[in-house]
Amino acid sequence: MRKLDEISRLSASDLERISLDEKIPVPEELASRIDSVTRSQSRHILWSIPVAAALAALVAVGIGLTRDSEPADTFDDPYLAYAQVEAVFAKISDTVAYGAGKIEDTETRIDKISYWK
Amino acid sequence: MKKFYILVLMLLVSLSALAQNGRSLYNKYSDLPDVEAVYISPAMFRLIGKIPDVEMQDGSVNFGPIIKSLSGLYILNIPKSEAAAQLADEVNHFVTKGHYELLMEAKDNGEVMRMYTVGDDKIVNSLVMLSRDASETSFICLDGTMPREQLEALIAEAAKE
Repeated sequence: MRKLDEISRLSASDLERISLDEKIPVPEELASRIDSVTRSQSRHILWSIPVAAALAALVAVGIGLTRDSEPADTFDDPYLAYAQVEAVFAKISDTVAYGAGKIEDTETRIDKISYWK
Repeated sequence: MKKFYILVLMLLVSLSALAQNGRSLYNKYSDLPDVEAVYISPAMFRLIGKIPDVEMQDGSVNFGPIIKSLSGLYILNIPKSEAAAQLADEVNHFVTKGHYELLMEAKDNGEVMRMYTVGDDKIVNSLVMLSRDASETSFICLDGTMPREQLEALIAEAAKE
């Protein structure tokens, strides 16, 4: 009996030659054993699909609930919350002001170039 | 069989990516170590709206109408890390998938700031700001039904200060 690693080292032509060698006996029950293994695998696949789908649905619902659950408020005091909102608007305004400043600088440079031309 | 499981996994990943929003990103990153996170709920915005004369400290900008239209504020500040890079990628993905419009982009000495909005001509339903520099990634998401005209006027007015 050959070991698996020996078989894996054989070339395609070697395998063909061995398969045509009638001196090597083929077990009588081989065909039925292959058939039963194939059938049990296909039954296993059929059984797994709904289970996997149900698990996927459960995980999706779990993810959805976790992601959409309302977080706890950071502030208890509306004045502190308001101060935070004010800081956010100040940051947004700073960004806009920075952008507007850049546009003004560019316009000034363009005006200067146009004047000297 | 393996192919089937891979397919299910890909389906889950794509489903979770499609469902991203400010809240889901906040829930994902806010509990990580070294992350600064702030959430203000709709209930808190209603309380803020009851504060008399909601104005900037110097009294020049009136936040009142905008505050009353807000329904959620999510802020995440993450120091430079793998999580920070992942957050930036996810924000870019969610603004693209959510049909956000790039309002402005500013780059300065390696710092990149981008602002996005989604809504229509009259209402802004969400404003997202993502800024990244060498040390930190900041994400701000404001949800609500903000009148576009008022929001733009407010930002423009504050920017003059």
